[in-house]
Amino acid sequence: MVQTRFMRWAAVVGDLGSPFYLEERQRDVWNEASAVGFQLMIWLSLAGSTLSLWIGGRPALPYALVMAAVSAVGSVVTIRYARLLGVEPVQPGAHRWVSFRRVAVAGALYLLFLGGLVRAVWSLGTDSVRHGFLIGLPLGLVVMVVGVVLGVRARRAADRAADAGQPGDVPS
Amino acid sequence: MVRTSAKGRQNRVRIARLVRDLTQAQLAEATGVSRQTIVAIEAGDYAPSVYLALSVAAVLGESVESLFAADGMESVVKE
Repeated sequence: MVQTRFMRWAAVVGDLGSPFYLEERQRDVWNEASAVGFQLMIWLSLAGSTLSLWIGGRPALPYALVMAAVSAVGSVVTIRYARLLGVEPVQPGAHRWVSFRRVAVAGALYLLFLGGLVRAVWSLGTDSVRHGFLIGLPLGLVVMVVGVVLGVRARRAADRAADAGQPGDVPS
Repeated sequence: MVRTSAKGRQNRVRIARLVRDLTQAQLAEATGVSRQTIVAIEAGDYAPSVYLALSVAAVLGESVESLFAADGMESVVKE
């Protein structure tokens, strides 16, 4: 097992050394239950922060951002943990484990969240804030798209390199 | 949507346990798991790890292949 500092930290946070995990089916069922709870938390935090932005407007901005940031940190930690142990949640190519419908709903929610964010920041009123936002938002989107494209390319290259490896190779 | 980890795998654990006149609780204790785990294995709701499968087979005096071989796999296992 890859024992990085992150993995040691994750083991402490997740209490992974607990005797609870010794019983294998108990561990499996708890993992499934955690997946349900985690997904629900992600969906609710995204929907909640979006709703609060559209209903509450500007006053709800800090709370919505905190809610979105907390769920983003949880997602990043989950994906990083899985990747360090050789599990890729979304693989380019043949194995697509996330359904299109799920991605479409999430995408629509993110767009609504973004719309609420723009609306709330716009209502702050000052020209400098609006000006900065008008520059920062598209810039951030471009950086995000470039990051995603580079990430997918790197993953594809890694997959090709792994496919070209010897049968006895093990992932590092 | 059906849970991917529970695909209704068939096995002979229940029959082998009854032949040896063991209760689910006794088999669970002998293999170091909970009774619910034995219930789930017998119902085909849970595929045990290779270590648990070996342990169950040892307690029941059978081979793993004879207990857990899927339909159509018997010939493959024997080869």
